[in-house]
Amino acid sequence: MATAEAHRSSTGKYIVVYVCILAIAALQFVIAYSNLDGSQMLARMLVLATIEAALAVLFFMHLWMENRGLLWFVVILTGFVIFAMQYSWTDSFRLLNGVPWAK
Amino acid sequence: MSHADLTLEGYSAAIMPPAFSIPAKKMAMWLFIIADSATFAACLVAYGYLRVADAHWPRPFHSITNVAIMTVILVTSSLTMLFGIDAAKAGDKAKAVRWTMITAAGGILFALLHIREWLGLIDEGMRLFQNPWGSALFGASFFSITGLHLLHVTGGVIALIVVGIRYKGGRYNSDDLEITGLYWHFVDLVWMFVVPLVYLLNLSH
Amino acid sequence: MHDVPVHHHAPPTSFLRKHVFSLDHKVIGKQYYGLALIAVFVGMILSWLMRIHLGWTNLAIPGLQLLSKSGAPGGIITPEYYLQLMTMHATIMVFFVLTTAPFAAFGNYFLPIQVGAEDMPFPHFNMMSFWVTFIGFVVLMSSFFVGDGPTLGGWTQYAPLSAVGAVSGPGQGTGVVLWATAIAIFCIGQLLGSLNFITTTLDMRTRGMSMWRLPFSAWAWFITSIMGLTAFAVLMPACILLILDHVAGTSFFVPGNLVINGQIQPHSGGSTLLWQHLFWFFGHPEVYIAIVPGMGIVSHVLTPNLRRPLLSHRVMVYSMGALAVLSYMVYGHHMFVSGMNPVSSLVFSFPTLVITIPSTIVVLIWMGSLYGAKLRINSPSLFALGFISMFITGGISGFFLAQPSIDIMLHATYFVVGHFHLVMGVAAMFGIFAGTYFWFPKMFGRMMNETLGKIHFWLSFVGAYCIFMPFHYLGIAGNVRRYPAFTDDYLQPLIPLHRFITVAAVLTGIAQFIFLYNLVHSRFWGKPAPENPWEATSLEWSTPSSPPPFDNFGGKLPTVYHDPHQYGVEGASADYVMQTSPEQIKSGHDEA
Repeated sequence: MATAEAHRSSTGKYIVVYVCILAIAALQFVIAYSNLDGSQMLARMLVLATIEAALAVLFFMHLWMENRGLLWFVVILTGFVIFAMQYSWTDSFRLLNGVPWAK
Repeated sequence: MSHADLTLEGYSAAIMPPAFSIPAKKMAMWLFIIADSATFAACLVAYGYLRVADAHWPRPFHSITNVAIMTVILVTSSLTMLFGIDAAKAGDKAKAVRWTMITAAGGILFALLHIREWLGLIDEGMRLFQNPWGSALFGASFFSITGLHLLHVTGGVIALIVVGIRYKGGRYNSDDLEITGLYWHFVDLVWMFVVPLVYLLNLSH
Repeated sequence: MHDVPVHHHAPPTSFLRKHVFSLDHKVIGKQYYGLALIAVFVGMILSWLMRIHLGWTNLAIPGLQLLSKSGAPGGIITPEYYLQLMTMHATIMVFFVLTTAPFAAFGNYFLPIQVGAEDMPFPHFNMMSFWVTFIGFVVLMSSFFVGDGPTLGGWTQYAPLSAVGAVSGPGQGTGVVLWATAIAIFCIGQLLGSLNFITTTLDMRTRGMSMWRLPFSAWAWFITSIMGLTAFAVLMPACILLILDHVAGTSFFVPGNLVINGQIQPHSGGSTLLWQHLFWFFGHPEVYIAIVPGMGIVSHVLTPNLRRPLLSHRVMVYSMGALAVLSYMVYGHHMFVSGMNPVSSLVFSFPTLVITIPSTIVVLIWMGSLYGAKLRINSPSLFALGFISMFITGGISGFFLAQPSIDIMLHATYFVVGHFHLVMGVAAMFGIFAGTYFWFPKMFGRMMNETLGKIHFWLSFVGAYCIFMPFHYLGIAGNVRRYPAFTDDYLQPLIPLHRFITVAAVLTGIAQFIFLYNLVHSRFWGKPAPENPWEATSLEWSTPSSPPPFDNFGGKLPTVYHDPHQYGVEGASADYVMQTSPEQIKSGHDEA
């Protein structure tokens, strides 16, 4: 299947993606030491982690090279299920802001 | 049985082309990954829910050296896995097995570093039900999330070794190696969320 | 994952491989059906015990003290034991009957045949899926015989009482741990099953079987398995966290300074609502996991008996898909009075009302198709009509419960119990019955007795309404659910109604033994079934024999030329055209 040339170029691509992922991870470590408040830091961390994960899914797990239908199936289904889980946060904030028994 | 198997059995014209043009085995792995993402997401949401609700959440981590090394090891092991799969696709069996075993070794190293870190935290008095710094739920959520991940790493290492050996013996082919690789990358992907949420947000300043 | 292909393999000869650890999807389907059959009778007997206790509180049930000395001293059920029986009734019914029978049992048996495959892609996973589920059932049942019995927390296991251990009542220690273990195991089984179902539908379809040529039942199982894949994946970690609260002293679901039975609990920092969020995130899709296969089976059973296609194939499938999507967005309607943020109640109430749209469309398609049709009256079609009736009745009470302001009054009353028993419990059971009467000839090569089937239908249909319609009245009268006895002044006038329900429940339960007798008797001595008793078109009626041979189609795979709704076709040799028939149709309804 893969000719030597294609093989070499995919190796090159993998290394580029690898370096990008490590760079983003390093950026996260830098942000961790900055003086941001919690929600700001969380937002930055999540955005960066999502980019990292997208790189890994698309290029390490080859989703970019697969049938585009699979990409949509996986991304929409996973994204929807994870999104639907986020309803619970309002209760979490209420615990923080004034319910005495949530020590 | 994959589409390739069907072809071998002379059935290729007898069935519809597989959806998304991938064999059933690979599809099953993707489905497992979808389900497992939901599992990890539920754990992380539960952790976030409890953490947000608690004004006195401890931030005990002083050093990032260990977790940085672990991250580099795990991401690198993903890269070596890709080299193995590429070698297998190109037909270079010996090289593919070598890279697969290097990947497994990376996984083992990661697990050892992780266990060493756990032992250090346990030494400092951190337990599932208490810790010296603040909310008891810190230990509970830390150990359950990283424990679930460690379980996945352990399972992945075993899978890599088994599939690697059987691939060498000719029982499995490069597709099987690629599917194992999908799982291994997913373990890596989960770690990308665990590090910022569980470690970096709990860094003491 | 690495299974040898089953093609051209000789059928297994050893007893173990043939009947116990079989890789054949047909045997696994029958095993699931058998498990569900055992579970449903256990669950039914538990409901009898509860009903008798509710009608005649101080009546001694002889022999019950043998099951639990402390729970039923002298055969009289204690309030705690009543709750334990109720919890087990619900857990067994929801997990091991309503999920197992219409989805896992019929799906395993007929999905591969309906797509035209010899087996599922991963037979070993399939076998594991059944045996893991079976172990889950054994673990759950074992809690009857351990310590002070099963848990009394209800099938929802609301925290904190489910998480603090034995201090909160009998069975709340070991019982909860066993319950959570059983459910976590069950989740693994359903994950394996769902993997197989989805890959079977996507990758194993025979030549000519495009997605739009799949019959309704196959579509329903496919949609259900996607829900099963993601919903059970969330319940499993929730159960593990619950177990950790018990065995490792964590406090995920227990807040601090909690006093239970006069003792302050050594927990702090957890949240009781977190459990409800995690549980209902699974729990609401679970409701649709129970009912969508029933919708598919009913549509599949009705079409050949109508002798014409349903109004629309695609709209039906889209509606089932919309139900699946919406089921993830409405789970908070179980929590309107839980102390959840009131704004969330509003947010959840909207999609809950929206979900009535696809449900109504499904019902309208059935009603519109029935209008003016010459319906063939037989046991399967009667039970299909019963399903529609139950679904409508139970669905209408859902309108009221979906609105937070009304739900505040009706929540945790018998109104809710009546609602979900009709719309999810009895309706799904009628779907199972319809499927059983319809597919029995294919599964065992013999017909079930029609007369007994019709008697069974009328007794069950009338019985179910006698049991569950008064529940709505009880609820509006303020009768709270889960009360083991009614000693309050305002509840005492309701006791005669409870007695009526109890009598109806016992009689309807006895009527189910007619079904059991019919099932067992027909299995061995029933009339041999003709090749295609319902003159249906889908692929399961194209197999060379009943039951189908080991590889389903006798060494070859069928080729599909039509969608499965070619009934009442003008100019065809019969009034229907099989999916496998190469016959050309001029005025067909082939949408594929």
